[in-house]
Amino acid sequence: MISDLASTTSGRGRLVLESIDKNFEGSTVPALRGVSLSTMAGEFVVVVGPSGCGKSTLLNIAAGMLRPDAGHASLDGKPITRPGPDRAMVFQEHGLFPWLSALANVEFGLKMAGVPRGERQDRAAAALKMVHLANSTGKLIHELSGGMRQRVAIARALVMDPAVLLMDEPFAALDAQTRTLLHEQLQELWIRTRKTILFVTHSVGEAVRLADRIVVLHAHPGRVRRQILVPLQHPRDFDSKQVTELVSLVRTEIEQEVNRVNAAMASKDSAGKNLAEDLWQPATPDDLAPHPGDLGDGI
Amino acid sequence: MIWLLILATWEMAFRIHPWKDYYFPYPTQIVDSLLDLLNIQIGFHEPLHHGWPWLTQIPAHPKRGVFRSELFQGILISGGRLLGGFGVSILLGGSLGVLMWRFTPFNEFLGPLFLGLQTLPSVCWVPVAISLFGLQERAIQFVLIMGSFFAIAISLRDGLRTIPPLYQRAGLMLGASGWKLYLYVLLPAALPALCSGLRQGFSFAWRSLMGAEFVFQYSALHGLGNLLKDGQDQNDDAVVIGIMIVMVMIGMAADRLVFGQLEKRISHRFGLSGAK
Repeated sequence: MISDLASTTSGRGRLVLESIDKNFEGSTVPALRGVSLSTMAGEFVVVVGPSGCGKSTLLNIAAGMLRPDAGHASLDGKPITRPGPDRAMVFQEHGLFPWLSALANVEFGLKMAGVPRGERQDRAAAALKMVHLANSTGKLIHELSGGMRQRVAIARALVMDPAVLLMDEPFAALDAQTRTLLHEQLQELWIRTRKTILFVTHSVGEAVRLADRIVVLHAHPGRVRRQILVPLQHPRDFDSKQVTELVSLVRTEIEQEVNRVNAAMASKDSAGKNLAEDLWQPATPDDLAPHPGDLGDGI
Repeated sequence: MIWLLILATWEMAFRIHPWKDYYFPYPTQIVDSLLDLLNIQIGFHEPLHHGWPWLTQIPAHPKRGVFRSELFQGILISGGRLLGGFGVSILLGGSLGVLMWRFTPFNEFLGPLFLGLQTLPSVCWVPVAISLFGLQERAIQFVLIMGSFFAIAISLRDGLRTIPPLYQRAGLMLGASGWKLYLYVLLPAALPALCSGLRQGFSFAWRSLMGAEFVFQYSALHGLGNLLKDGQDQNDDAVVIGIMIVMVMIGMAADRLVFGQLEKRISHRFGLSGAK
């Protein structure tokens, strides 16, 4: 099962979002302006930004739940027009079906795809085993803890063997300990399957723990501010010096940006908005450079 | 318990100081009437005597067979009408409820109308039923359907509205589109609302049916409502009250045992039952 997933994943998952604009009705500021983002096959990309920066909107465009006003989105060369199981998503509020057992929830996508009952039960059971829930297959959703629910949601997405796994703040509603546990499990899962993952969060710590590459988004309008490669090997020790240092580095940088823009906006009147927008330069290739000096050795 | 006491007092009052039983029946009389309607002839209401409660006088033409009795047949006939009419009601109310939920103009057009018509007592449909179908079986069904499907449509619409949009997104993401989304995601998600809608619809349907049968005395098939009317025509208040009790019991049994249990199981599934 696991080796199956790994082999079919190779070469898939090149998600390309190109100069995406998105406006919502009744809002003066665009949710996204000129956002470009792409993933390589097997890459773990984390989009980080404050709430309201349009990171969930971006993910929903990748999922095909929303259409961009301008720009285009494609996966492995095929344009994204509507939701589909090749871009399986894990939601913040799990979105599992309470009328089905854990196993039946994981089976659901396979059932929609017309997979015969026996095969889909086997595959669903294997997927639940991968998220360490082999003993909870028959449980109803409300009988599971928050962390277990998210693991079922991850299994439900993985069982579809998606080209890319989209995760929308999946651990934001969990307590810190559960979150750390799930970070470990997700990391382990990713190492085993090498799925392309696009993960959205507002937590810098989460981003540094998990990502190959961090994309920093800023709000009003939502734009890519910076991209940071995380040159740490997987699996990572979350308590290691490199991780904690990188977290504070990225956090400081984001705070500086926010303060700078806030200051610019406060110092101007009506024209301030334009000035603030000018401050947001699109990310340049230089931004992709890691910060070797800050990270010490062992990378 | 307190009810048993009241019934016993009522019975004792009659036994000590008999009043004319056609003014107001007393408990054992009602019991006897009901049993008589079931072709079981027995004399609980007779004064205590040797051999009580068997009748002192053997009837000249004893009635035989519970299954051929008026009451048993009446329950079957009413039950059959109910199943048929309620079935149509579910289909009609269900599909209109879905349409009202899915298409706003449809809802704007029908929603207020349905809410209004829902307040109309179902017996008011009788004149329309007669002019449409004449004095026929169909007229009774018509009253039943008109009395219940508005409630089903409205409650289904309201239930569908409370479905978290996330379920729909999750379903789409997993490849459930078109009818699959309706069948595998929206319908089960609407189950709790659907169930309480059906429960409400059922009690509307049952009341409408009893009312309709009471008014339509022309049918060859005698349902419970017809028996009630017979009792009234014969000034037999024991029969009247007996039939009323049967109606209440059937209504309550269906409500508690069928819909109550269904609701309980659904809310357990969904984790709505409080006990977590």
